Amino acid sequence: MRRREFWLLVTPSVIVMFGFMLVPLYRTVRWSFQQVEYGAPGTEVGLANFASAMSDLRLGRAVLFTLGLTVVVTAFCLVFGYILATLINVLGRRWRPVVLGILLIPYVLPHVVGAVAFSWLFDTNFGGIINFIANLVTGGAFGEPLWFIEPWPNRLIVAANAVWFMLPFAMLMILAGLQGVSTETLEAAEIDGAGPLQRHLYVIIPSIRGVLGFVLLIFTMDVLRIFDSLIALSPQAVALGNESIMLYIYNVAFREGAVNLGLGSAISVLTILLILVLLYPSIRALVKEAKAA
Amino acid sequence: MTIDLQPAGDTAPRRGAVATAASIAERDATRLRYRSRRRTVAVISALVLAATCVLMVFPFIWATLSSLKPTNVAFSNPPVFSFAPTFQPYVDLWQTTNFYLYLANTLVVAVISTLVALLVGLPCAYALSRYGGVASLVLLVLALVFRALPRFAVVLPMYEISKSLGIYDTTYALAAALIAINQPFTIWLLRNFFAEIPRELDEAAMVDGCTRFGVLRRIMLPLMGPGILTAGIFVFLFAFQEYLTAAVLTDVSAKTVPVFIATQIGQNLPLLQQASAATVLLTLPVVGIAFIAQKYLVAGLASGAVKG
Repeated sequence: MRRREFWLLVTPSVIVMFGFMLVPLYRTVRWSFQQVEYGAPGTEVGLANFASAMSDLRLGRAVLFTLGLTVVVTAFCLVFGYILATLINVLGRRWRPVVLGILLIPYVLPHVVGAVAFSWLFDTNFGGIINFIANLVTGGAFGEPLWFIEPWPNRLIVAANAVWFMLPFAMLMILAGLQGVSTETLEAAEIDGAGPLQRHLYVIIPSIRGVLGFVLLIFTMDVLRIFDSLIALSPQAVALGNESIMLYIYNVAFREGAVNLGLGSAISVLTILLILVLLYPSIRALVKEAKAA
Repeated sequence: MTIDLQPAGDTAPRRGAVATAASIAERDATRLRYRSRRRTVAVISALVLAATCVLMVFPFIWATLSSLKPTNVAFSNPPVFSFAPTFQPYVDLWQTTNFYLYLANTLVVAVISTLVALLVGLPCAYALSRYGGVASLVLLVLALVFRALPRFAVVLPMYEISKSLGIYDTTYALAAALIAINQPFTIWLLRNFFAEIPRELDEAAMVDGCTRFGVLRRIMLPLMGPGILTAGIFVFLFAFQEYLTAAVLTDVSAKTVPVFIATQIGQNLPLLQQASAATVLLTLPVVGIAFIAQKYLVAGLASGAVKG
């Protein structure tokens, strides 16, 4: 393909993507060095926003909460997604589409809507079916946890909701990876006397580690950006210390009178740097692949 | 030489093996044990799958029940399980709120952003899959980074820009924002599909006198059917799901259904029940998509195009 043709074909997309994203991005970077409000020119304050971000306890808690959530949700989804994918992989043609279809529902539903529906399961003001069932099973020992008012019960339902809508994605990616596992190697392992557990540990998991790494990367970046579900599941997030980084930016730079647009932008910039670090291995792999081609 | 007509199954005697009664009994016992263990495993895995499926749809089932109960018991504690179903919340939702407007907004935004994203993304993805220069690599890397950007880094400035341009709270501004935000994903997905089409096809067509654009239009588009469908479904879903961007860039007239449902929480009971009705109305088509378009959703996710 000639250079001129390339640029002709690419230009519309480049204009849309970079025109609509680079301009706002530039403004965020500028704001991060300013004391600024919407619709007014800001005053330069140098690194003051970054300094106050670093010394902000509330932000520290938000970072801690987000990282903890990321670790828990990612670990759970990887393990359980693997188990689910293994089970679905041996399903017949009749049941496979049914199970996949059902598992896809939480993935395609808007997350905020899923989280609202989730909150109704727990809120005792609205029936609290989960408490009801748990008390039925345990004979009342479960009690009435304050899902929305106490920090740990609230963290639990936020994590449960994140698992609920992200598990299907992990399962599907791993399922796709399982298709690429060589049946010959598996048979050879079986003949050599490897039991089911050994086959998983020494044959299947090593041969899909690329996919697992990829799922890990996507999950890390997605849970780091969690926002929608907290709006519905954690109305008291600020008081409970259950703010995510994104919710914190939203609160200080948009909702609470938008007084701290500069601070919010500074945190956005810091998040971008973190994401660049996380993406570095993928970018390097991409460059290496292109050089080899 | 004899030809063994018996099917090689459980009853077929092993050739060359002189089976004694003892060895047969032993073999049968092992086989039985093996078979019963397999059955246990199958039952357990079926139970795990069934439980997972129930848990996955449970919030939705509960929302449906809440929307069908009479208002006074809809959210009563302990929950009521026998009731006379009513469709009043659906009627109210339609008559007393602007739900139909929000639904129309959601659809308009999703359709516009899907069409434009494909129109703009297709040529770009084709070029990226065929051009080996540095520019191609730079664009792909940038798209990867842009796909991973935290939303607020672009959406908050968009809020200010759209206000100063006077397009705040319009479906067009929201659609434009979503096209840009989802463009990196679109070109990555389409590029991966293009990469699977052999370059020899392009070359053959061009030897026969086809131009580059001719190749794209006459050869690639027909072959890209499944790829275009997959990308279209994903971009549509992303636009339809989007909460954050819609919450920031819209206020009253361009509000979408997810934003509407989120603002109903913390309201009084009848409004809350309408929100559950809205949730059901929104979920039903989505369930349809999950089942009908399953092949494309799985293909899209499996192609690793969700990269970034």
